[in-house]
Amino acid sequence: MTAPVDVEAGARRVTTAKAISEAIAQEMRANPEVFVMGEDVGPYGGIFGSTGGLFEEFGATRVIDTPISETGFIGAGIGAAVEGMRPVVELMFVDFLGVCFDQIYNHMAKIHYESGGNVKVPMVLMMAVGGGYSDAAQHSQCLWATFAHMPGMKVVAPSNPYDAKGLMASAIKDDNPVIFMFHKGVMGLPWMAKNPRSIGAVPEEEYTVPIGKAAIPHPGTDVTVVSVSMSVQHCLDVAEKLEGTTSVEVIDLRSIVPLDREAILASVAKTGRLVIVDEDYKSFGLSGEIVATIADKDPSMLKVPVQRVAYPDIPVPYARVLEYEALPTRDKIEAAIAAVMKG
Amino acid sequence: MSETITFPTMSKDEDAEGVLATWFVRTGETVRSGQVIAEVMVDKVSMDVEAPTSGTVTCLVEEEAAVRQGQEIARID
Amino acid sequence: MVDNDMRVDFYKEMVRIRTYEAALQRDYHADKAPAWDIGAGLIPGEMHLSAGQEPVAVGLCANLEQGDAITGPHRPHHLALAKGVDMKAMTAEIFGRDAGLSHGKGGHMHLFDPSQHFSCSGIIAQGMPVAVGQALAFSRRGTDNVAVAVAGEGAANQGGFHEALNLASMWKLPVIFIIEDNDWAISVNRETATPIKDGSLRASAYGMPSARIEGNDVEAIYDACRTAVERARAGGGPTLLEIHTVRLWGHFEGDAQAYRGDELAAATENDPIPLYEKRLLAAGLLTEDSIASIKAQAEEEVEAAIAYAKASPEPKPSDAYLHVFA
Repeated sequence: MTAPVDVEAGARRVTTAKAISEAIAQEMRANPEVFVMGEDVGPYGGIFGSTGGLFEEFGATRVIDTPISETGFIGAGIGAAVEGMRPVVELMFVDFLGVCFDQIYNHMAKIHYESGGNVKVPMVLMMAVGGGYSDAAQHSQCLWATFAHMPGMKVVAPSNPYDAKGLMASAIKDDNPVIFMFHKGVMGLPWMAKNPRSIGAVPEEEYTVPIGKAAIPHPGTDVTVVSVSMSVQHCLDVAEKLEGTTSVEVIDLRSIVPLDREAILASVAKTGRLVIVDEDYKSFGLSGEIVATIADKDPSMLKVPVQRVAYPDIPVPYARVLEYEALPTRDKIEAAIAAVMKG
Repeated sequence: MSETITFPTMSKDEDAEGVLATWFVRTGETVRSGQVIAEVMVDKVSMDVEAPTSGTVTCLVEEEAAVRQGQEIARID
Repeated sequence: MVDNDMRVDFYKEMVRIRTYEAALQRDYHADKAPAWDIGAGLIPGEMHLSAGQEPVAVGLCANLEQGDAITGPHRPHHLALAKGVDMKAMTAEIFGRDAGLSHGKGGHMHLFDPSQHFSCSGIIAQGMPVAVGQALAFSRRGTDNVAVAVAGEGAANQGGFHEALNLASMWKLPVIFIIEDNDWAISVNRETATPIKDGSLRASAYGMPSARIEGNDVEAIYDACRTAVERARAGGGPTLLEIHTVRLWGHFEGDAQAYRGDELAAATENDPIPLYEKRLLAAGLLTEDSIASIKAQAEEEVEAAIAYAKASPEPKPSDAYLHVFA
C-alpha cells in the first residue's frame, strides 16, 4: 500500500489541493475583505481543486466565476487590492500569462514602487504549473523564472501540503503581490498519478510558513541538491534511496522570490557540491540564478562544476516519450549526483 | 465494537466500478468520528469518505485498486 | 441553396466525425482504469471532443477550399476532419507517434496541416489574430482565399477577439469569425459570463456584418457560412457568425459535468445527428440500409486510422530537441 508521509498518531492528512483551499477558507473567515476570482473557481472548485468547498461556504459574492477575460479580472483584482481588499485571483494555467501579462508585471508588480510606496497591492495571483501528463506546449510550463525576473512580486511554489497551506496563509496576509504557483503533480488529485508526498499531515489550525525561507527536508553532508515544487518530491525520493551511499542535502526553496540565498550558500559551503533540479527552462532562469549566487560570493566553495538538471530549451512536447526525455526525472537527478560525487 | 465502512454508492449503475483513489490514513492509526479517511472516485466524480465513528482503522483495500460500490473498504475498532 | 446530394453528404460527414470522436473517447479511457490517470495510456493528456458540434464544421467546410485557412480552438477534431486534414496522420499525432502531423510534438490541441492551412491553439481566442494574418497574406497575394477563425462563446470575452475583429474590419480582410456558442465555458454558463444574449451584435461595434444562427442545423449553418465566404472572396471584408450549438460531452474527457444538472439530459435530446437523420429519412433521402452502410463505412475508416496510429512507431527520445528552430 502506498504510504502517506509519517505523522504523529491522530494527525490529519490532506492533499495539497485541500490544504490550499483550507488556507483560503480560514483567511476568508477571518477577514471579509478576502475574496476569490477566477475561471471555474465557484461550484467546480477550481480545475485543479484549489478552491474546493469555498463556493459552498461563502457563496457567489465572495467566490466569483469570471468570464474568460484574464486582463479584465486580474486588472479588477489589482483595483480591488489598491482599495484595500485582499483578492485571491486564479490564473487557470501559468501558460495563459501571455494574455494578461501587462496587468501582472507592469501594474500589479510596479504600482507600489511607481507610487513611491504610497499604494499597496495586497493580492495573491495563484496558478497551476507543471507537466508530466502530456498536456503539451501550452499547458505544461512552470515559468517561475519569468515572474521572478520582473521586480515587484513575490513568487512561491510549495512542494507539499503543509507548506502549501502555510504559504497561502502568508501570501494572503502579505501586503505585496504574491504569485502562488501550485504544481499540478503535487496537488494529490484523484485523476492524476501522484507521489505519496502530495498527501501529508496538515494542522487544522491556522499557521503560516514564511515567504523567502527555504526548508531542508533531508539534511546531508556530501552534496547539496536545490530544487522547488514537484521536483523536490523526486529529489527526496532519490535522497532516501541513496541513504547509506551518499549523504544528500535537499533544499526545498519554497520561495523563488525572495530567494533564500543564505540557505543555499551555507549548504554549498558545507558540501562543496551542487546539483540544481528545476522543471523550468534551463537557460536564463532559476538554475542560472542559483549558480550566480555561488559565483558572486565565492566560486572556490565548489569542489566540482555544478550540475543543472533543468528543462531543456525546447517547447514541451506532447508524446510521453518526448516529454519524459525533457523532464528532470529521478534517474537524471541520481546521475547528476553521481557526476558531482565522482568529480 | 467493530464498524465497517463501505464504498459509497455514487452511480446509478450498480455495477459501475470505482476506485479508492487516496488513503489519508494507515492501518493501525487512530481516527476521529468525521475525519476524512479516503477519497474515492466513480465515473470521474470524486468524494470524501468520513469515519463514522472513532477508533483504530484497518484499511481493507489497496490505494488505486478497483472497488465495487458497497464493497467493504475499511473497519474501525 | 442546398441540394439533396449535399444533404446526404452533410449527414455522411457528421456521422464520420461523430464516429471518430466516439472511437477516440473509447480508446482514451480504455487504458486509464481502474485508477484514472490522465497521463496514462495510448492517448495521454487532455482530450476535448466535439460531439454535438458537427453541424458547425460540416456546414462551414462545405464552403471552403484547400487553399482556405482555419484556425481552431482546443476542441478541433470536427473542424480538422471536415476541412480535409488526413485522418491517419491526425490520429497518429493524437497517439503521439512519429508519423503524426507534428511527429508527436503537438498532440490533439496543436494539430497543424499546412497543406490544408489548418492549425489550432489551446489558448482561448488566440487563433483569431492569426487568422487575420492569413487573410492579410491572401489579400496581399491577390487570391480569393479566405481565412476562418473558430472559437467558443467564452472566447468572445477575451481581448484577442476584439482586437482581431477591429483589425479585420479596419483592413477589410477576407476573414470569417465563427463563434461556436455551446453555452458552456468549462463549467461557466454563458448567462453568467456574457451580458448580451446575441453575441453577433458585437460585430456592429467593429463595423462588420454578422448573424446569429439558432438550431444547430447544418443546412442553416451552411447557408450563413456561404454568404460570409462569398462576401470575403469578393473583397467585401469580414463577417462574424455566432452559431448556437451543443456540447454533448464534457468540456474534457473526465469532466463529470455535475454543474450542468438537468440541462445535460435536455441537451442530449438535441443531438443534431439523430435529428438530421430523422429528417432525411422522412424526406426519403436516407433509408435504414443506407444509414447502416454510411455508419459502417465511417467505422471502417476510423478503425483503420486508429489501427494505423497504434502500429506507428513512437518518436525517438532525442527527437525532442528537433524543430525548436528551422
